[in-house]
Amino acid sequence: MRCTLVALALVSCHRDPPASEDAPIQLGAALQITGPLANTGRYYRDGYQIAVEQINAKGGITVAGHKRQLALKLLDSQSDVSLGVRQYVQLLSQDKVDFLLGPFSSNDALDDSSVAEKYEVPMVQGGGASSQIFSRGYRHVFGTLPPADNYFDSTLKMMLRLPPRPPKTAALVCADDSFDVSVAQGTRKLLAAAGIELVVDKQYPEHTPEFSSILSLIKSKPPDIILWSGHEPQALNFLRQAKSLGVDANLATSYTVGVPAADFRKALGKDAELAFGMTPWIPSKDLKDDWFGDGDSFARAYEQKFGYAPDYHAASAVADVEVFARAIETAGSLDRARVRDAIAGVDFHSLYGRVKFGATGQIALPELVVQIQSGQVVPIYADDFITRPVYPVPAWDKR
Amino acid sequence: MHLAAQILLNGILLGGLYGLMALGMGLVWGVLNIVNLAHGAFIMLGGYAVYYCHAGLGIDPFAALPIAMVGLFCLGYLVQRFVLSLIARAALLNTLLVTFGIDVVLTYLALFAFSADFRTINPSYAGDHFELAGLTVPLAQLGAFATALVLAGGLRMFLARTRTGRAIRATAQNLTAARLHGINPRRIYPLCFGIGTALAGAAGGLYGVVSQVTPYMGNTLTAKSFVIAILGGLDRPLGVLAGGVALGIAEATTDIYLDPTYRNAIGFGMLVAILVLRPTRLFERA
Amino acid sequence: MTTGRWLVIGCVAALAAVPLFGSATMVQYGISALSIAALAQAWNILGGYTGYASFGNSVFYGLGAYGTAIAMVDGHQSFGVGLGCGVALAVACAWLFGGPILRLRGPYFAIATLGLSGAMSAVVSNLGFAGKNVGLILPLYRGDALFYELSLALLVLCTLAVAWISRSRFGAGLVAIREDEDAALVMGVNTPRYKALALLLAAGFSAVAGGIHAYWSTFLDPASAFDSTLNVKMVIMTVFGGPGTVLGPIVGAFSLSAISELLASQLSTMASAFYGLVIVLAVVFMPGGLMELGRGFRRGGRRYFLDNMRRFRL
Repeated sequence: MRCTLVALALVSCHRDPPASEDAPIQLGAALQITGPLANTGRYYRDGYQIAVEQINAKGGITVAGHKRQLALKLLDSQSDVSLGVRQYVQLLSQDKVDFLLGPFSSNDALDDSSVAEKYEVPMVQGGGASSQIFSRGYRHVFGTLPPADNYFDSTLKMMLRLPPRPPKTAALVCADDSFDVSVAQGTRKLLAAAGIELVVDKQYPEHTPEFSSILSLIKSKPPDIILWSGHEPQALNFLRQAKSLGVDANLATSYTVGVPAADFRKALGKDAELAFGMTPWIPSKDLKDDWFGDGDSFARAYEQKFGYAPDYHAASAVADVEVFARAIETAGSLDRARVRDAIAGVDFHSLYGRVKFGATGQIALPELVVQIQSGQVVPIYADDFITRPVYPVPAWDKR
Repeated sequence: MHLAAQILLNGILLGGLYGLMALGMGLVWGVLNIVNLAHGAFIMLGGYAVYYCHAGLGIDPFAALPIAMVGLFCLGYLVQRFVLSLIARAALLNTLLVTFGIDVVLTYLALFAFSADFRTINPSYAGDHFELAGLTVPLAQLGAFATALVLAGGLRMFLARTRTGRAIRATAQNLTAARLHGINPRRIYPLCFGIGTALAGAAGGLYGVVSQVTPYMGNTLTAKSFVIAILGGLDRPLGVLAGGVALGIAEATTDIYLDPTYRNAIGFGMLVAILVLRPTRLFERA
Repeated sequence: MTTGRWLVIGCVAALAAVPLFGSATMVQYGISALSIAALAQAWNILGGYTGYASFGNSVFYGLGAYGTAIAMVDGHQSFGVGLGCGVALAVACAWLFGGPILRLRGPYFAIATLGLSGAMSAVVSNLGFAGKNVGLILPLYRGDALFYELSLALLVLCTLAVAWISRSRFGAGLVAIREDEDAALVMGVNTPRYKALALLLAAGFSAVAGGIHAYWSTFLDPASAFDSTLNVKMVIMTVFGGPGTVLGPIVGAFSLSAISELLASQLSTMASAFYGLVIVLAVVFMPGGLMELGRGFRRGGRRYFLDNMRRFRL
């Protein structure tokens, strides 16, 4: 038992030297670098890293007249939520990080953000969109993913304007986790408001690989549109099984996740063609950024550095770091209460879009409708049409 | 009515693949008395083997199955020969723990070797289907079902007709008696474990064709294989195949007539129920 | 004996004082190390002494967590009342399922408990008042010292119970069941009753750990409540320390948590493979755990490991 005391003491004995005036400002996060969520977790690891490096390369940030560098402390939570919580506490009390960046996924963000609230340290997280995170009255948690309830808003607005006719019937297929339940609830309201009848409304277990029954049900009463929400691996299976069972919507099918990710297109090849999706972000020259120039040059730098294209997760991660850079400069100190207030008041344009938090601490970015055309993610619709979509999407056997 | 028939067909086709997944686990469990928690990891490795044969070398996935099976056989043979044989006579719990450890290590290595990218084995005909009496029959799923049928039948023939197969069955029934008849378990055990992992490899390849391959796919498949192996009666190949089909149908009908969120409750519920209600049949074997 | 007892009391007192002078990280890791040790100790009652390898202890942990959370969120009760509800729920479940499941032996018991855990998770994710698969949010409580002391108290209580078991007739009965259940029955041990009681004890202790976890983490969903890897950790820690001994699970849990957390506290992805490697080596070379290792090593030196290997080899 004594040796375990020694071991426990060991865990806490290597501390960093006390922070001085020009010591780097420490940002910390516990991310899914291994485990089932590693696939998306890496966007955050790489996004945080490239943002910190770029900000430092441009001279760091100015705090009360002093130039300070940023430093990043990342831990691997192994996709284990409770390990993540402990690691966030460690980041604060042992590694002495100044501020917290978030993990990926709504479930992780829910748990980990309670550490931030407990210790009254601001956390800006770009990985959790569920409204559950922001409905608890927490003051120290900010999110750069737009609210889940509105994901299908722009898609439906677009479809109502497109020839040959506005959709009359829809099938809604959503997972049963926090994020997707928010999507489903929001979408049901949107559909009712648009006067679209819901002919199939099925919830499936989050990690299921199987959609054949739901697809057969959809095929038995073909709807004008199919709206699907869940995680990326499930999106992949839904699409493949839809093809193999010959299930088509009369007009189009749209997915909340997957379509903008390079991985998704690579795994599906030609089958991904013409799928509708959405993203709060797409690389663009119009998104000006103080550190990266613009969204386009960021995407190129990112792909060159890490060997794969960034999607909105990565851009959201970069925005998180930039929020801290801005807020610390505005606050003029590392005082957590002042930085927290500065974050609540930030309003700036970045490669990710306009960053400004609402009363609950969540950003409000519109979801851009995208479609895969010739293997590329093409922006279709924001407030108005950007590119002509292929619509209605031809049936599988007519392509 | 038409929908019900389609759901039944979906369940049966999926169930064949389920059965194939559990075939190897049942065999190893029945003969070696090892509950192999690393079974799903071997399925995963089979999936990657077929993926690389198809994506890298351009070999048709169904033609690549034998390659994956040979590779997985060798791996399984070595794992039994050099790791599991060390604890062949230890308590059951210890074999559970060691196979769990192997699972964790294989999964970890796979993450580094293959990255966390999702992979699909996507030959040109993967999404094709044909209509038969008003039902949609997906081609790849039908192929997977047929392969499962062939492999289960082949395993049954092998166990019943060949000398080695009979030696395996004798070992399963009574190790001491088998030894007295000159059967060397040091030869039979790795062979049998290798056959088990080879079958897992085939299941992984087919799973990649109808679904996808990731380093972490194994866990849920191990749990499914348990359920099916128990349902089907361990080392009775056709029984296990039937168990797979039963689970496939149960899941497919749950999706439609109850709710998809109950599908895991049904699967695990069946497992517990079968264990509790029919323990005698299992005890005779244990 | 008395010096040993004073040493134990001293250790407990030192551990209890950690929140007073230790860092927040120590308290945090302490909460997790103490509660996993308590879980391992609870597993030890059924798995170590009775020889019934349960993969369903996470069911009781999860029910304890859910009972607590539901009482606190839906019923607006205090944490204490919630904890009571959690324990009641878990014990009721153990009582209900214990009878039929404990009739199974060997791998079939293990598999049935695993199935129970999967089924329970799926059922809870369909219950509206349990927050379905979305989960429940508990009120935020800032006093981590409370969770620490509660976990410590749970571990002490659980260990005292195991210490009592190891010396009592009850414990002797459990060991008899482990060695040869049929013989135990013939000798007059009321085996169904003994097994049921062992299960109830394990369920109760696991449920308390679950309740503490729920309030501490402030968010509960089926995946975190019925996490089967947590159950595997209980087993690994007990086996690593020494199953069927009083201090084995504690030693196993503390040493493995310390190493694994040290690995995880650096950016080392090795931590995720750590348990896998440890368990393969431990089972092959020291199946009796650390507790037996001490004795065996003194007697046989390095040969101890090789002997173990030879003992179970084909």
